[in-house]
Amino acid sequence: MKLNFEALLPGIRPWVMNLVNIWPAYIIKPQYANWEVLHILSLTLLGGAAILMNLRLLNVGITEEPPSEIYRNLRRWQDVGVVGIVVTGILIGMANAEKLYDSTAFVVKMCALAGGIVLTYGASRPVARADGAVSSSAKLWFFVGALIWLAGVLVMATGALINVGLYHVITAAALVVLIVARGRLRWIYLAGLLAIIAAQQGITHLAYAGDDIKHLDPINKVFTWLYAIWIIGAAVVRLFLTRREERQGAFVQLIAWSSILVWVTGAAAGRWIAFE
Amino acid sequence: MIREALVWLQTVLGKGPGDTAQSWSEALLGSLNFWGLLEGTHLLTLMLFAGTIFVVDLRLLGVTFRRTPVSVVSDKILPLTVTGFLILIVTGLALFFAKPVVYYHNIWFRAKLVFLVLAMINIAIFHTRVQRNQSAWDTLATPPMAARISAVLSLVSWLLVIAMGRFIPYNWFDCGKPIPHIVNVLQDCKSSEAGALDKQDMAKLGAAKQGAAQ
Repeated sequence: MKLNFEALLPGIRPWVMNLVNIWPAYIIKPQYANWEVLHILSLTLLGGAAILMNLRLLNVGITEEPPSEIYRNLRRWQDVGVVGIVVTGILIGMANAEKLYDSTAFVVKMCALAGGIVLTYGASRPVARADGAVSSSAKLWFFVGALIWLAGVLVMATGALINVGLYHVITAAALVVLIVARGRLRWIYLAGLLAIIAAQQGITHLAYAGDDIKHLDPINKVFTWLYAIWIIGAAVVRLFLTRREERQGAFVQLIAWSSILVWVTGAAAGRWIAFE
Repeated sequence: MIREALVWLQTVLGKGPGDTAQSWSEALLGSLNFWGLLEGTHLLTLMLFAGTIFVVDLRLLGVTFRRTPVSVVSDKILPLTVTGFLILIVTGLALFFAKPVVYYHNIWFRAKLVFLVLAMINIAIFHTRVQRNQSAWDTLATPPMAARISAVLSLVSWLLVIAMGRFIPYNWFDCGKPIPHIVNVLQDCKSSEAGALDKQDMAKLGAAKQGAAQ
């Protein structure tokens, strides 16, 4: 069974099909591409702020200033980004509603949006504002947000044709580790990463034919797990290598990681609606 | 000349013997997932690239990080921006390689390159001219006019690069459709397989036909 909004809300197709005829969707429809541009620009504002704020919680970026100062300077811009993606998203979504109703990637995108808002406003920003102190409400919101996000990741991982989009999330995680890792760890990590890439390319291109999906599919899935283990492993090692006085708590790091990757998941799912 | 080279790139390079053989470019475009991953990576990296360069521009405008020296903001953020830029260039070149002739005849792609060049010129001017006396205004909440103009030019040009990029896949101005003469010239439709069809000529033709019928 395909997990999409049709499966969740089977009776509303007539309503969905009519959305394009309702104000303002019929005005948006002919200007669709322009609103897509605004959607992307909102994403860059939101994503840039999320990256800088959460990297600071991982002790990278503008370390001359405390996390609360980064938060104070970027929060309004991030708000603009969040309101922007939601408003433009509703407009282009209304103009394109039936496709989204049938889409599994759209379910992932909505999970990531909900999880992203909860993680950002409930956990990441309050922790940044408090310079790394994690309140019990931030902990609670982190668990709620992470659960919604991981539900979305699970839907993406099990969705035919869209699960490949998870490589965007893996790539982003790999990049964040490369940015935050220092010294020898960075080079060992990079060498291992390149070795896994080389092994995957070698096996899937030399050992098996390109159309041998029966063999290639499980091999690629094993490699997906290998990437995830290697990246998460490096993040954990880095956590313990950091000097105690420079180290943010494991909880703060967990919040920072998920608050970046949740938006990457949403953006990846959004893009793979078109490839589904 | 350029077009011939791109046709070779798209249809000949890497092509083996046999009827079903594909060039490397065709194989990339026809790949099950790889093209999609490249395209998705190109788009998603905008969060890293544009998202961070916008923050630096906003600092130069004096609207954010007003208490933090410009040098601190740029020294700490620009490495992230450059990382994003490198990913964009690599994925962008690969995407271009997948259908070079299509992009050659695409007005939005050409406009994107123009604004990309303008953005780079702006960066060059900023580094060689505007930044020369940066120590004098590094800690100012609002940097001088020259720096603010650089920031506005940067914001506008990157915004246009992104917008043009998003318009590329739309078929409004495909060669062979009746499109304005100027667009036919700008994207060199005459040399394309679909040819050039001027909207003005079509309108005249339509009017003449109508006249003949009466």
